Amino acid sequence: MLSNRELERYKRQILLFGTKGQEKLKNAEIFIAGAGGLGCPIAIYLTVAGIGKITIADKDIVDGSNLNRQILHYDRDIGRKKTASAEEKLTAINPDIRISVIDTTIDESNVLELTAGADGIVDAMDNFPTRYLLNETAIKKKIPLFHGAIRGLHGQATTIIPGKTACLRCIFPNPPPKEVFPVVGVTPGLIGMVQATEVIKYLTGEGKLLTDRLFIWDGMAADAEEIVVEKNPGCPVCGSHKAVDIKRRNR
Amino acid sequence: MTAKVRFFARFRELLGSDIPAPVKTGTTLADLIGGIAKKNKEGYDAIFDENGRFREFVIVMRNGKRIEHADAEKTQVADGDEIAIFPPVAGG
Repeated sequence: MLSNRELERYKRQILLFGTKGQEKLKNAEIFIAGAGGLGCPIAIYLTVAGIGKITIADKDIVDGSNLNRQILHYDRDIGRKKTASAEEKLTAINPDIRISVIDTTIDESNVLELTAGADGIVDAMDNFPTRYLLNETAIKKKIPLFHGAIRGLHGQATTIIPGKTACLRCIFPNPPPKEVFPVVGVTPGLIGMVQATEVIKYLTGEGKLLTDRLFIWDGMAADAEEIVVEKNPGCPVCGSHKAVDIKRRNR
Repeated sequence: MTAKVRFFARFRELLGSDIPAPVKTGTTLADLIGGIAKKNKEGYDAIFDENGRFREFVIVMRNGKRIEHADAEKTQVADGDEIAIFPPVAGG
């Protein structure tokens, strides 16, 4: 049941999703992997949308060079843990939901515990090895993975529904090389909003999800397109003959 | 006959995009992409390794369908083909 306060707060989106839809958001739990460029805008918008419980894991300390894009962290937060900074802002934005932060590096030893009650995993990471781990976890737990990644003014996003759609390994069998990537804050802002929109649609059951399609944004050309992607029957993660084994995961 | 080659993201910055290319019969997808990419060494090196093979992470699409690297080296370009070359991005 929604309180009077919640009915007022979410009035304008209840026009879209109904009180039933809003209750679905309230009863949902979402895990956001990372409180960086993608994680900050995603967390803010899922917080204001009234997702009942949001868990965020990140191990980093706020650095001055983060501030051009990681919009939950302010100048005064430099040197502070990103999780503490995020928790403070998100709780102030919407005290009616539960924010849980975990100051840790996501790895194979803790990922199942971190995502224990989650109805979906948001990929807000900055590297492919951890993304592959999140993908395997999502497949194993049969919960969706909302993928996004950026570089410069370019970005990509897709939604993965285990058992139904192409997984991250089907789409990207091999990771791109590691680098210190250039970025301006608007790009993770835009891609993060595609991911957050997908979360809200998935939880409320509205619309057509970004599944088996890779959304590609070129901010330099102001050009958006999508490429069709397919499940790979021989995929080492979701292929029909392969069991998922996180410990033996090929990095 | 002609085909169109489209580069995405970083490849686009280095090589441009929507490049119409005249194609001789018998040209493979890899030949076509390599021929265009050779115009810019940095662009070529971003897509191909020192042996002239596609780098592992590079995604090659033909008319909206993913093509394995080994197949891209064998498959001949057909008139009107649209070839897309895409590097995943990894930042967050």
